[in-house]
Amino acid sequence: MTEKTDSRFTKGADAVLSIPPNSSIPIAYHPLFGPHNDLLLLELDEKLLPDVINQRVSLRGQSDEDAVLCTQSKTYAIKFVGTSNSVFLVPPSDQFSVNEEGEDPESNAASVLKVAPGTMELVEVAPRIDKLKLLLSENTYKFDEVNEIYDSGLYQWDDLTDRVQASDEELRSALRVLSAVEINGYWRIIDQKYMDRILSMLINNSLLNDWSLNALNEDEVVESLVKDGFSRVIAHHCLEVYGSKTNGESVWGLDEKRVCVHFARGILSSFGKMKMESFMEEWARKVPGGMVVSFEMLEGEVLVEKLGIQSWVYGFSVSSLPSDPANRFSRLFQERSKWDWKDLHPYIRDLSVPGLTSDGLLLKYTRRTQPTANSEPVFTAR
Amino acid sequence: MEIKLKCSCGEASCPEWAIIELQGVVEVQPAFQERLRNLQIGILCRPSSQENYTFTVGYHELSGSKIPMKKPLLVLKKKIIKSDMEIDQKDDDDDDLNSSRVELEVIGIIRQRILFKTRPKALITKPQSPVKKKKATASVAIVEKQT
Repeated sequence: MTEKTDSRFTKGADAVLSIPPNSSIPIAYHPLFGPHNDLLLLELDEKLLPDVINQRVSLRGQSDEDAVLCTQSKTYAIKFVGTSNSVFLVPPSDQFSVNEEGEDPESNAASVLKVAPGTMELVEVAPRIDKLKLLLSENTYKFDEVNEIYDSGLYQWDDLTDRVQASDEELRSALRVLSAVEINGYWRIIDQKYMDRILSMLINNSLLNDWSLNALNEDEVVESLVKDGFSRVIAHHCLEVYGSKTNGESVWGLDEKRVCVHFARGILSSFGKMKMESFMEEWARKVPGGMVVSFEMLEGEVLVEKLGIQSWVYGFSVSSLPSDPANRFSRLFQERSKWDWKDLHPYIRDLSVPGLTSDGLLLKYTRRTQPTANSEPVFTAR
Repeated sequence: MEIKLKCSCGEASCPEWAIIELQGVVEVQPAFQERLRNLQIGILCRPSSQENYTFTVGYHELSGSKIPMKKPLLVLKKKIIKSDMEIDQKDDDDDDLNSSRVELEVIGIIRQRILFKTRPKALITKPQSPVKKKKATASVAIVEKQT
Protein backbone atom coordinates (compact mmCIF):
# COMPACT_ATOMS: atom_id res chain seq x y z
CA MET A 1 0.00 0.00 0.00
CA THR A 2 3.05 2.21 -0.26
CA GLU A 3 2.33 5.31 -2.21
CA LYS A 4 4.78 7.75 -3.64
CA THR A 5 5.66 10.48 -1.21
CA ASP A 6 3.77 13.58 -2.11
CA SER A 7 6.12 16.46 -2.86
CA ARG A 8 3.84 18.83 -0.97
CA PHE A 9 4.95 17.13 2.20
CA THR A 10 8.39 17.22 3.70
CA LYS A 11 10.02 14.45 5.63
CA GLY A 12 13.11 13.94 7.71
CA ALA A 13 15.48 16.70 8.77
CA ASP A 14 13.91 19.13 6.32
CA ALA A 15 10.56 18.69 7.96
CA VAL A 16 12.02 19.45 11.38
CA LEU A 17 13.94 22.50 10.26
CA SER A 18 11.18 24.02 8.16
CA ILE A 19 8.02 23.60 10.15
CA PRO A 20 5.66 26.33 8.99
CA PRO A 21 4.31 28.61 11.71
CA ASN A 22 1.19 27.34 13.48
CA SER A 23 1.73 23.76 12.52
CA SER A 24 3.26 20.62 13.90
CA ILE A 25 4.82 17.36 12.83
CA PRO A 26 4.98 13.99 14.48
CA ILE A 27 8.42 12.76 15.56
CA ALA A 28 8.82 9.00 15.57
CA TYR A 29 11.49 6.38 15.91
CA HIS A 30 13.09 5.66 12.58
CA PRO A 31 12.52 2.19 11.12
CA LEU A 32 16.30 1.77 11.39
CA PHE A 33 16.57 3.30 14.87
CA GLY A 34 19.44 1.87 16.84
CA PRO A 35 22.82 2.59 18.44
CA HIS A 36 24.52 3.11 15.04
CA ASN A 37 27.97 3.15 16.61
CA ASP A 38 29.45 3.78 13.19
CA LEU A 39 27.86 7.23 13.11
CA LEU A 40 29.98 9.90 14.77
CA LEU A 41 29.49 13.60 15.28
CA LEU A 42 32.48 15.84 14.80
CA GLU A 43 32.35 19.47 15.82
CA LEU A 44 34.33 21.53 13.40
CA ASP A 45 35.29 25.13 12.98
CA GLU A 46 33.52 26.74 10.05
CA LYS A 47 36.90 27.69 8.61
CA LEU A 48 37.94 24.03 8.38
CA LEU A 49 34.91 23.05 6.32
CA PRO A 50 36.52 23.76 2.93
CA ASP A 51 39.39 21.46 3.89
CA VAL A 52 36.92 18.71 4.67
CA ILE A 53 34.90 19.22 1.53
CA ASN A 54 38.03 19.13 -0.59
CA GLN A 55 39.19 16.01 1.25
CA ARG A 56 42.36 17.50 2.63
CA VAL A 57 41.79 16.21 6.14
CA SER A 58 42.89 12.95 7.68
CA LEU A 59 43.13 11.20 11.02
CA ARG A 60 46.55 10.03 12.05
CA GLY A 61 47.83 7.79 14.79
CA GLN A 62 48.93 4.28 15.64
CA SER A 63 46.50 2.02 17.42
CA ASP A 64 48.12 2.73 20.78
CA GLU A 65 47.86 6.50 20.34
CA ASP A 66 44.88 8.83 20.55
CA ALA A 67 44.02 9.81 17.01
CA VAL A 68 44.63 13.35 15.85
CA LEU A 69 43.02 15.16 12.99
CA CYS A 70 45.36 16.82 10.51
CA THR A 71 44.61 19.45 7.95
CA GLN A 72 47.32 20.43 5.50
CA SER A 73 48.95 22.71 8.03
CA LYS A 74 47.64 21.98 11.52
CA THR A 75 47.19 19.17 14.01
CA TYR A 76 44.18 18.79 16.30
CA ALA A 77 43.59 16.46 19.22
CA ILE A 78 40.19 14.81 19.20
CA LYS A 79 38.23 14.89 22.42
CA PHE A 80 35.01 13.03 23.01
CA VAL A 81 32.55 15.16 24.92
CA GLY A 82 29.63 13.25 26.31
CA THR A 83 26.23 14.69 27.08
CA SER A 84 23.47 13.68 29.46
CA ASN A 85 20.87 15.27 27.22
CA SER A 86 18.95 13.23 24.74
CA VAL A 87 20.30 14.25 21.36
CA PHE A 88 17.95 12.92 18.69
CA LEU A 89 19.52 12.68 15.28
CA VAL A 90 17.18 13.17 12.37
CA PRO A 91 18.60 12.33 8.95
CA PRO A 92 17.33 13.86 5.73
CA SER A 93 14.59 11.84 4.08
CA ASP A 94 16.81 10.54 1.31
CA GLN A 95 19.34 8.99 3.66
CA PHE A 96 18.62 5.77 5.54
CA SER A 97 15.32 5.62 3.73
CA VAL A 98 13.32 2.44 3.78
CA ASN A 99 10.14 1.66 1.98
CA GLU A 100 7.87 1.59 4.94
CA GLU A 101 4.21 0.92 4.98
CA GLY A 102 3.56 2.47 8.31
CA GLU A 103 4.49 5.90 7.13
CA ASP A 104 1.77 8.18 5.95
CA PRO A 105 2.93 9.89 2.77
CA GLU A 106 0.20 12.46 3.11
CA SER A 107 1.79 14.36 5.97
CA ASN A 108 4.94 16.00 7.22
CA ALA A 109 6.92 13.75 9.52
CA ALA A 110 10.38 13.09 10.78
CA SER A 111 12.05 10.21 12.49
CA VAL A 112 14.95 9.77 14.85
CA LEU A 113 17.72 7.43 13.74
CA LYS A 114 19.94 7.54 16.77
CA VAL A 115 20.39 9.13 20.17
CA ALA A 116 23.89 10.60 20.06
CA PRO A 117 25.86 10.04 23.27
CA GLY A 118 28.07 13.04 22.59
CA THR A 119 30.27 14.73 20.06
CA MET A 120 33.92 14.85 19.14
CA GLU A 121 35.63 18.18 19.50
CA LEU A 122 38.93 19.40 18.12
CA VAL A 123 41.67 21.14 20.08
CA GLU A 124 44.65 22.45 18.20
CA VAL A 125 47.86 20.86 19.44
CA ALA A 126 51.53 20.95 18.63
CA PRO A 127 52.60 18.20 16.23
CA ARG A 128 54.18 15.15 17.85
CA ILE A 129 57.58 15.69 16.34
CA ASP A 130 59.70 13.77 18.84
CA LYS A 131 58.44 10.56 17.31
CA LEU A 132 59.83 11.66 13.95
CA LYS A 133 63.21 12.34 15.52
CA LEU A 134 63.13 8.91 17.11
CA LEU A 135 62.19 7.13 13.89
CA LEU A 136 64.82 8.84 11.78
CA SER A 137 67.51 8.27 14.40
CA GLU A 138 66.99 4.51 14.25
CA ASN A 139 69.09 4.22 11.16
CA THR A 140 71.10 7.28 10.22
CA TYR A 141 72.88 7.45 6.91
CA LYS A 142 76.53 6.63 7.48
CA PHE A 143 79.61 6.83 5.39
CA ASP A 144 80.07 3.11 5.07
CA GLU A 145 76.51 2.41 4.08
CA VAL A 146 76.45 0.06 1.13
CA ASN A 147 73.87 1.29 -1.28
CA GLU A 148 70.82 -0.78 -2.08
CA ILE A 149 71.01 -2.77 1.13
CA TYR A 150 68.05 -1.66 3.13
CA ASP A 151 67.42 -3.01 6.54
CA SER A 152 64.97 -1.86 9.13
CA GLY A 153 64.41 1.65 10.35
CA LEU A 154 63.86 3.26 6.97
CA TYR A 155 60.86 5.38 6.26
CA GLN A 156 59.24 6.75 3.16
CA TRP A 157 56.95 9.77 3.27
CA ASP A 158 53.84 7.61 3.60
CA ASP A 159 55.40 5.62 6.41
CA LEU A 160 55.98 8.90 8.23
CA THR A 161 52.43 10.17 7.78
CA ASP A 162 51.28 6.77 9.05
CA ARG A 163 53.39 6.99 12.17
CA VAL A 164 53.87 10.64 13.05
CA GLN A 165 50.98 12.71 14.35
CA ALA A 166 51.61 15.88 12.41
CA SER A 167 50.12 17.63 9.41
CA ASP A 168 51.93 17.48 6.09
CA GLU A 169 53.29 21.00 6.45
CA GLU A 170 54.41 20.46 10.02
CA LEU A 171 56.05 17.22 8.98
CA ARG A 172 57.91 18.88 6.11
CA SER A 173 59.11 21.72 8.29
CA ALA A 174 60.23 19.27 10.99
CA LEU A 175 62.18 17.31 8.38
CA ARG A 176 63.88 20.58 7.40
CA VAL A 177 64.74 21.39 11.01
CA LEU A 178 66.19 17.92 11.45
CA SER A 179 68.18 18.40 8.23
CA ALA A 180 66.69 15.19 6.91
CA VAL A 181 67.06 14.34 3.26
CA GLU A 182 65.20 11.99 0.94
CA ILE A 183 67.59 9.36 -0.39
CA ASN A 184 66.22 6.76 -2.77
CA GLY A 185 62.72 7.47 -1.51
CA TYR A 186 63.61 7.17 2.16
CA TRP A 187 63.85 10.10 4.58
CA ARG A 188 67.17 9.96 6.39
CA ILE A 189 69.21 11.92 8.87
CA ILE A 190 72.86 11.96 7.90
CA ASP A 191 75.28 10.81 10.54
CA GLN A 192 77.15 13.73 12.10
CA LYS A 193 80.59 12.28 11.31
CA TYR A 194 79.61 11.82 7.72
CA MET A 195 78.40 15.41 7.48
CA ASP A 196 81.69 16.49 8.96
CA ARG A 197 83.61 14.53 6.38
CA ILE A 198 81.71 15.98 3.43
CA LEU A 199 81.81 19.53 4.75
CA SER A 200 85.55 19.30 5.31
CA MET A 201 85.94 17.93 1.81
CA LEU A 202 83.87 20.76 0.40
CA ILE A 203 85.95 23.38 2.20
CA ASN A 204 89.14 21.61 1.17
CA ASN A 205 88.08 21.48 -2.48
CA SER A 206 87.21 25.16 -2.40
CA LEU A 207 90.67 25.91 -1.07
CA LEU A 208 92.34 23.82 -3.77
CA ASN A 209 90.25 25.32 -6.56
CA ASP A 210 90.43 28.81 -5.17
CA TRP A 211 86.64 29.10 -4.90
CA SER A 212 85.17 31.71 -2.60
CA LEU A 213 83.02 30.22 0.14
CA ASN A 214 80.59 33.05 -0.50
CA ALA A 215 80.11 32.23 -4.17
CA LEU A 216 80.17 28.52 -4.81
CA ASN A 217 79.01 27.29 -8.16
CA GLU A 218 76.57 24.48 -7.46
CA ASP A 219 77.56 22.29 -10.42
CA GLU A 220 81.29 22.62 -9.77
CA VAL A 221 80.95 21.87 -6.07
CA VAL A 222 78.65 18.92 -6.56
CA GLU A 223 80.82 17.46 -9.35
CA SER A 224 83.95 17.77 -7.24
CA LEU A 225 82.26 16.00 -4.32
CA VAL A 226 80.90 13.27 -6.57
CA LYS A 227 84.47 12.69 -7.79
CA ASP A 228 85.49 12.27 -4.16
CA GLY A 229 82.97 9.49 -3.78
CA PHE A 230 79.95 11.28 -2.34
CA SER A 231 76.55 10.84 -3.87
CA ARG A 232 74.97 13.69 -5.74
CA VAL A 233 72.04 13.85 -3.29
CA ILE A 234 74.33 14.11 -0.28
CA ALA A 235 76.54 16.67 -1.97
CA HIS A 236 73.53 18.82 -2.68
CA HIS A 237 72.20 18.26 0.81
CA CYS A 238 75.51 19.54 2.24
CA LEU A 239 75.01 22.84 0.40
CA GLU A 240 71.45 23.05 1.75
CA VAL A 241 72.49 22.39 5.33
CA TYR A 242 75.49 24.69 5.51
CA GLY A 243 74.73 27.26 2.88
CA SER A 244 72.05 29.20 1.12
CA LYS A 245 71.52 30.29 -2.43
CA THR A 246 72.77 33.77 -3.18
CA ASN A 247 71.17 35.94 -5.82
CA GLY A 248 72.60 33.80 -8.58
CA GLU A 249 70.68 30.87 -10.04
CA SER A 250 72.94 28.13 -8.77
CA VAL A 251 75.43 30.03 -6.68
CA TRP A 252 75.69 29.16 -3.03
CA GLY A 253 77.31 30.88 -0.09
CA LEU A 254 78.26 28.99 3.04
CA ASP A 255 76.58 30.33 6.14
CA GLU A 256 79.23 31.45 8.60
CA LYS A 257 77.17 30.74 11.69
CA ARG A 258 76.02 27.27 10.63
CA VAL A 259 79.54 26.25 9.61
CA CYS A 260 81.08 27.60 12.81
CA VAL A 261 78.43 25.90 14.97
CA HIS A 262 79.16 22.66 13.16
CA PHE A 263 82.83 22.83 14.12
CA ALA A 264 82.06 23.84 17.69
CA ARG A 265 79.81 20.80 18.07
CA GLY A 266 82.52 18.59 16.66
CA ILE A 267 85.14 19.89 19.10
CA LEU A 268 82.90 19.58 22.14
CA SER A 269 81.68 16.13 21.23
CA SER A 270 85.25 14.83 21.12
CA PHE A 271 86.61 16.79 24.10
CA GLY A 272 83.58 16.94 26.36
CA LYS A 273 83.86 19.74 28.91
CA MET A 274 86.56 22.30 28.02
CA LYS A 275 88.08 25.37 29.56
CA MET A 276 86.62 28.38 27.81
CA GLU A 277 89.97 29.70 26.57
CA SER A 278 91.14 26.39 25.13
CA PHE A 279 87.79 25.86 23.46
CA MET A 280 87.77 29.29 21.83
CA GLU A 281 91.32 28.76 20.61
CA GLU A 282 90.59 25.35 19.18
CA TRP A 283 87.37 26.57 17.61
CA ALA A 284 88.95 29.55 15.88
CA ARG A 285 91.67 27.22 14.58
CA LYS A 286 89.18 24.68 13.16
CA VAL A 287 86.87 26.93 11.15
CA PRO A 288 87.76 27.73 7.52
CA GLY A 289 89.85 30.82 6.86
CA GLY A 290 87.86 34.00 6.59
CA MET A 291 85.24 32.88 9.05
CA VAL A 292 85.19 34.53 12.45
CA VAL A 293 83.83 32.72 15.46
CA SER A 294 81.87 34.49 18.13
CA PHE A 295 80.47 32.96 21.28
CA GLU A 296 76.98 34.32 20.58
CA MET A 297 76.72 31.84 17.72
CA LEU A 298 76.46 29.08 20.30
CA GLU A 299 73.20 30.16 21.91
CA GLY A 300 71.19 27.02 22.48
CA GLU A 301 74.23 24.89 21.68
CA VAL A 302 76.49 25.14 24.73
CA LEU A 303 76.29 25.90 28.41
CA VAL A 304 78.94 27.62 30.50
CA GLU A 305 79.75 26.47 33.99
CA LYS A 306 81.79 28.53 36.42
CA LEU A 307 84.11 26.54 38.67
CA GLY A 308 86.08 28.94 40.83
CA ILE A 309 87.50 31.51 38.49
CA GLN A 310 87.49 29.13 35.57
CA SER A 311 84.69 29.05 32.97
CA TRP A 312 84.04 25.67 31.44
CA VAL A 313 81.98 25.08 28.34
CA TYR A 314 80.16 21.96 27.24
CA GLY A 315 77.77 20.97 24.49
CA PHE A 316 74.05 21.06 25.25
CA SER A 317 72.14 21.41 22.04
CA VAL A 318 68.52 22.44 21.95
CA SER A 319 68.07 20.15 18.95
CA SER A 320 68.76 17.16 21.19
CA LEU A 321 66.00 18.07 23.63
CA PRO A 322 62.38 16.86 23.62
CA SER A 323 60.04 19.14 21.72
CA ASP A 324 57.00 18.85 23.94
CA PRO A 325 57.07 21.45 26.72
CA ALA A 326 56.63 19.20 29.75
CA ASN A 327 59.52 16.94 28.81
CA ARG A 328 61.61 19.88 27.62
CA PHE A 329 61.36 21.73 30.93
CA SER A 330 61.93 18.60 32.93
CA ARG A 331 65.10 17.90 30.92
CA LEU A 332 66.24 21.51 31.38
CA PHE A 333 65.76 21.46 35.14
CA GLN A 334 67.50 18.12 35.29
CA GLU A 335 70.50 19.82 33.69
CA ARG A 336 70.35 22.84 35.95
CA SER A 337 68.10 23.59 38.85
CA LYS A 338 68.24 27.37 38.29
CA TRP A 339 68.20 29.22 35.00
CA ASP A 340 68.85 32.85 34.12
CA TRP A 341 66.54 34.20 31.50
CA LYS A 342 69.51 34.80 29.20
CA ASP A 343 70.50 31.14 29.36
CA LEU A 344 66.99 29.73 29.36
CA HIS A 345 65.57 31.66 26.46
CA PRO A 346 67.52 29.90 23.66
CA TYR A 347 66.28 26.57 24.97
CA ILE A 348 62.60 27.37 24.94
CA ARG A 349 62.04 29.87 22.15
CA ASP A 350 61.30 27.11 19.63
CA LEU A 351 58.51 25.66 21.77
CA SER A 352 55.11 26.39 20.45
CA VAL A 353 51.92 25.33 22.07
CA PRO A 354 48.71 26.46 20.39
CA GLY A 355 46.82 28.80 22.66
CA LEU A 356 49.72 29.33 25.03
CA THR A 357 52.12 32.27 24.84
CA SER A 358 55.74 31.91 25.90
CA ASP A 359 54.84 33.73 29.11
CA GLY A 360 52.07 31.21 29.63
CA LEU A 361 54.58 28.41 29.16
CA LEU A 362 56.90 29.89 31.76
CA LEU A 363 54.03 30.34 34.15
CA LYS A 364 52.95 26.75 33.69
CA TYR A 365 56.31 25.04 33.94
CA THR A 366 58.57 27.31 35.99
CA ARG A 367 58.67 29.30 39.18
CA ARG A 368 60.05 32.76 38.74
CA THR A 369 61.98 34.42 41.54
CA GLN A 370 63.49 37.85 41.64
CA PRO A 371 65.49 38.45 44.82
CA THR A 372 65.47 42.23 44.40
CA ALA A 373 63.56 44.50 42.08
CA ASN A 374 66.49 45.21 39.79
CA SER A 375 68.07 41.80 39.77
CA GLU A 376 67.65 39.33 36.94
CA PRO A 377 64.79 36.85 37.41
CA VAL A 378 65.73 33.24 38.08
CA PHE A 379 63.63 30.29 36.92
CA THR A 380 63.31 27.06 38.88
CA ALA A 381 61.16 23.99 38.46
CA ARG A 382 57.56 24.08 39.55
CA MET B 1 47.89 4.67 10.24
CA GLU B 2 46.22 7.35 8.28
CA ILE B 3 42.48 7.59 7.74
CA LYS B 4 41.38 9.97 5.03
CA LEU B 5 38.21 11.86 5.71
CA LYS B 6 36.17 11.28 2.61
CA CYS B 7 33.54 13.69 1.46
CA SER B 8 31.49 13.28 -1.64
CA CYS B 9 29.09 16.11 -0.88
CA GLY B 10 30.83 18.57 -3.13
CA GLU B 11 30.91 22.29 -2.60
CA ALA B 12 28.58 23.39 0.18
CA SER B 13 25.87 20.88 -0.55
CA CYS B 14 26.32 18.55 2.36
CA PRO B 15 22.93 17.01 3.30
CA GLU B 16 21.68 18.78 6.37
CA TRP B 17 20.66 16.70 9.36
CA ALA B 18 18.67 17.97 12.33
CA ILE B 19 18.99 17.57 16.06
CA ILE B 20 16.17 17.62 18.55
CA GLU B 21 17.76 17.88 21.95
CA LEU B 22 16.12 17.63 25.33
CA GLN B 23 17.15 17.17 28.92
CA GLY B 24 16.79 13.79 30.50
CA VAL B 25 15.78 10.58 28.88
CA VAL B 26 12.80 9.51 26.89
CA GLU B 27 11.77 6.13 28.09
CA VAL B 28 9.66 3.73 26.14
CA GLN B 29 7.16 1.70 28.05
CA PRO B 30 8.23 -1.92 28.36
CA ALA B 31 5.42 -3.19 26.18
CA PHE B 32 6.83 -1.21 23.25
CA GLN B 33 10.55 -1.83 23.80
CA GLU B 34 10.67 -4.37 21.01
CA ARG B 35 8.51 -2.41 18.62
CA LEU B 36 10.24 0.91 18.23
CA ARG B 37 10.01 1.12 14.45
CA ASN B 38 7.89 4.10 13.56
CA LEU B 39 6.69 4.41 17.13
CA GLN B 40 5.74 8.00 17.71
CA ILE B 41 7.81 9.85 20.28
CA GLY B 42 5.89 13.06 20.30
CA ILE B 43 4.57 16.04 18.40
CA LEU B 44 6.85 18.90 17.50
CA CYS B 45 4.89 22.10 17.16
CA ARG B 46 5.73 25.63 16.09
CA PRO B 47 2.94 27.72 17.60
CA SER B 48 3.89 31.07 16.06
CA SER B 49 6.08 32.57 13.41
CA GLN B 50 8.92 32.81 15.90
CA GLU B 51 11.48 30.05 16.21
CA ASN B 52 9.89 28.77 19.39
CA TYR B 53 8.75 25.20 19.62
CA THR B 54 6.94 22.82 21.85
CA PHE B 55 7.50 19.12 21.99
CA THR B 56 4.75 17.06 23.45
CA VAL B 57 5.83 13.67 24.70
CA GLY B 58 3.18 11.62 26.41
CA TYR B 59 1.44 14.11 28.64
CA HIS B 60 4.50 16.25 29.10
CA GLU B 61 5.11 19.40 27.17
CA LEU B 62 8.55 20.86 26.63
CA SER B 63 9.21 24.30 25.28
CA GLY B 64 12.32 25.33 23.48
CA SER B 65 13.66 27.08 20.47
CA LYS B 66 15.62 26.55 17.31
CA ILE B 67 19.19 27.73 17.67
CA PRO B 68 22.09 27.66 15.25
CA MET B 69 25.04 25.52 16.31
CA LYS B 70 28.04 27.56 17.44
CA LYS B 71 30.15 25.35 15.23
CA PRO B 72 28.73 22.96 12.67
CA LEU B 73 28.70 19.25 13.44
CA LEU B 74 29.72 16.78 10.78
CA VAL B 75 27.98 13.45 10.63
CA LEU B 76 30.67 10.86 9.92
CA LYS B 77 30.12 7.26 8.97
CA LYS B 78 32.80 4.80 9.88
CA LYS B 79 33.31 2.05 7.36
CA ILE B 80 35.54 -0.89 8.03
CA ILE B 81 37.07 -2.47 5.01
CA LYS B 82 38.31 -5.92 5.86
CA SER B 83 41.55 -6.63 4.12
CA ASP B 84 42.32 -10.16 2.98
CA MET B 85 46.01 -9.38 2.97
CA GLU B 86 46.35 -9.59 6.70
CA ILE B 87 47.07 -13.11 7.84
CA ASP B 88 47.27 -12.66 11.59
CA GLN B 89 43.99 -10.87 11.63
CA LYS B 90 42.06 -10.94 14.83
CA ASP B 91 38.37 -10.39 14.33
CA ASP B 92 37.33 -10.25 17.92
CA ASP B 93 36.39 -6.60 17.89
CA ASP B 94 35.07 -4.75 14.94
CA ASP B 95 35.84 -1.43 16.57
CA ASP B 96 39.49 -2.33 16.55
CA LEU B 97 41.52 -0.26 14.17
CA ASN B 98 44.33 -2.80 14.04
CA SER B 99 43.57 -5.30 11.41
CA SER B 100 41.33 -3.71 8.84
CA ARG B 101 41.30 -0.45 7.04
CA VAL B 102 38.91 2.18 8.26
CA GLU B 103 37.32 4.87 6.19
CA LEU B 104 35.42 7.84 7.49
CA GLU B 105 32.93 9.45 5.22
CA VAL B 106 31.15 12.72 5.77
CA ILE B 107 27.47 11.98 5.18
CA GLY B 108 25.88 15.07 6.62
CA ILE B 109 26.21 18.33 8.43
CA ILE B 110 24.26 19.75 11.34
CA ARG B 111 23.90 23.50 11.58
CA GLN B 112 20.78 23.91 13.70
CA ARG B 113 19.15 22.16 16.55
CA ILE B 114 15.89 22.51 18.33
CA LEU B 115 16.81 22.63 21.98
CA PHE B 116 14.43 22.03 24.85
CA LYS B 117 16.22 23.04 27.97
CA THR B 118 13.31 23.53 30.30
CA ARG B 119 11.75 20.99 32.54
CA PRO B 120 8.66 19.36 31.15
CA LYS B 121 5.28 20.78 32.01
CA ALA B 122 2.58 18.27 32.79
CA LEU B 123 -0.48 18.59 30.62
CA ILE B 124 -3.88 18.32 32.25
CA THR B 125 -5.48 16.32 29.55
CA LYS B 126 -3.98 12.95 29.22
CA PRO B 127 -3.37 11.71 25.69
CA GLN B 128 -2.85 8.02 25.28
CA SER B 129 0.73 7.57 24.29
CA PRO B 130 3.01 4.60 24.60
CA VAL B 131 5.99 6.85 25.24
CA LYS B 132 6.69 8.73 28.41
CA LYS B 133 9.31 11.23 29.28
CA LYS B 134 11.33 10.61 32.37
CA LYS B 135 13.33 13.41 33.93
CA ALA B 136 16.52 12.69 35.76
CA THR B 137 15.23 14.77 38.66
CA ALA B 138 12.77 12.94 40.83
CA SER B 139 10.27 15.76 41.13
CA VAL B 140 9.16 15.56 37.56
CA ALA B 141 9.38 11.85 37.17
CA ILE B 142 5.63 11.68 37.17
CA VAL B 143 4.49 8.15 37.59
CA GLU B 144 2.67 6.88 34.59
CA LYS B 145 2.32 3.23 35.26
CA GLN B 146 -1.23 2.45 34.29
CA THR B 147 -1.82 2.35 30.56
